[in-house]
Amino acid sequence: MKTRKLNHIILYNEGVDDNVDLPQIASYLKDRLGRIDVEIRSSLFSQELSPEQISFYSKRLASARISSANQFWEEHEPLYGEVEYEKRSIQGKTKSIGILYEGIELQLIYSELVPQTESNLRCVNIVLTKRLFATWDNANKRYHARVVLLGIPSLISTTGIIEAPAKPRDYYILKQQYEMIGKDLLELGERFSGQYIDYDDDRMTEIIKGYAMQSVFYYLTGTPFCQDSRCRLFNAHWQDEMISAQLHGEYELCPKHAYLLSDL
Amino acid sequence: MDKKFSPIGEKDVTSAIVGEFASQFQEYVESDCIIVGGGPSGLMAGRNLTRAGKKVLIVERNNYIGGGFWIGGYLMNKITVRHPAERILDELGIPYKEIKPGLVAADGPHACSKLIAAACDSGVKFANMTTFDDLVLREDNRVAGVVMNWTPVSAMPREITCVDPVAIESRIVIDATGHDARVVMALETRGILKTRGMGSMWVDQSEDLIVEHTGEVHPGLIVTGMAVSTVYGLPRMGPTFGAMLMAGEVAAQVALEKLV
Repeated sequence: MKTRKLNHIILYNEGVDDNVDLPQIASYLKDRLGRIDVEIRSSLFSQELSPEQISFYSKRLASARISSANQFWEEHEPLYGEVEYEKRSIQGKTKSIGILYEGIELQLIYSELVPQTESNLRCVNIVLTKRLFATWDNANKRYHARVVLLGIPSLISTTGIIEAPAKPRDYYILKQQYEMIGKDLLELGERFSGQYIDYDDDRMTEIIKGYAMQSVFYYLTGTPFCQDSRCRLFNAHWQDEMISAQLHGEYELCPKHAYLLSDL
Repeated sequence: MDKKFSPIGEKDVTSAIVGEFASQFQEYVESDCIIVGGGPSGLMAGRNLTRAGKKVLIVERNNYIGGGFWIGGYLMNKITVRHPAERILDELGIPYKEIKPGLVAADGPHACSKLIAAACDSGVKFANMTTFDDLVLREDNRVAGVVMNWTPVSAMPREITCVDPVAIESRIVIDATGHDARVVMALETRGILKTRGMGSMWVDQSEDLIVEHTGEVHPGLIVTGMAVSTVYGLPRMGPTFGAMLMAGEVAAQVALEKLV
């Protein structure tokens, strides 16, 4: 398989939590990719934006919200409060999460902010964000939350790492019961402790390394995922698959992908 | 044997009720702020607004004030509050027990009655057994008051209760009607805005989001409490009340900025 030549990797920090060690992720990529520059930058929204641009992007973000997972997103006029919330999020004044965005729309907004000279397939742009996004699945007519969305830029959602891959089946059965009787859901977290990645999880940095590598392979080859569940490029749909591939895999990358990397 | 109570006739009792009620009603046909819904968020907003010297009337469709704050979840009368909202319990003098770091529980009746008392003590007035019927709209659909009627009227067949509502005015209206978001819905019915509908339960995130989205949703109309969830399609949060109390504080703050 032929690989594309890369010359630069940029990790944009879109307000991720302190448990994400970005320098460690940058070192990991640098270590595995050799001579390629790896740079950490602050949010794409942190560049100098005029008040008009802030209003414009706030409105775009607000209208990229999905209100129903079962209904395909349509461009709509956002509510005043939604726009104000996004304005605060752009300015780094809120760190709350829980809004679900239409992934492609969100990526489009970020893509407009990537500097033109770096908007190409030789420069890997990765946005690390807390925003949760989903993409429409036409087969079962609903949205599915995603960890990663590949493109220019690639988006990696730390909230997606927690919420997108499914937790153990028993977790959902018990959750339903807990909600019915008004029992504290935090207790549920203790019961399944370690079986899924949670908020403030100290395994988050290690998990992100694998998704960053998927982004790199997307730029390198156009095919980011691997069928081998022991490879970090495995596209996990369950938390245990993700934890296994990213933290307890037999090897870091399968022989095929390890070779591609060594041959750069 | 001497009688314990003063010799007061029936007409005096009736006259006191009518006189006092009419006097307050007359005074509150115009106020700074009308809050629709007397649950924890509405009460907290009312309490803070009156403490800042504003004239506030809470319209409550039930006879009792307090909404769902009397009971936690599943008809169990213990309410929970997550950090940092226990600060408000301290402020109101509500005793609580720490269940684990970040989570406290309090007695529902104690918490609710203390909050109602705090609102009353600071000067909030109530129109209970009164149902919100519609909005008073002015130029550019600015909200300028509410149309209301006695709750029993809406519960009776239309044929035998042809009772017109009345309207009262205010500079700000706060929708604290809970999941129904009844006041905002009155705008939606007219096609003025489109609410998103309530999201699914996501306790861990919903409280932050509800407080974050509390604010003016339309000129003259502020939305607070669980109505915020319905208006913006935010996740539901289950039986915990910290966000309700804190959203009430935010609603009051936003209203005060508008009332300058």
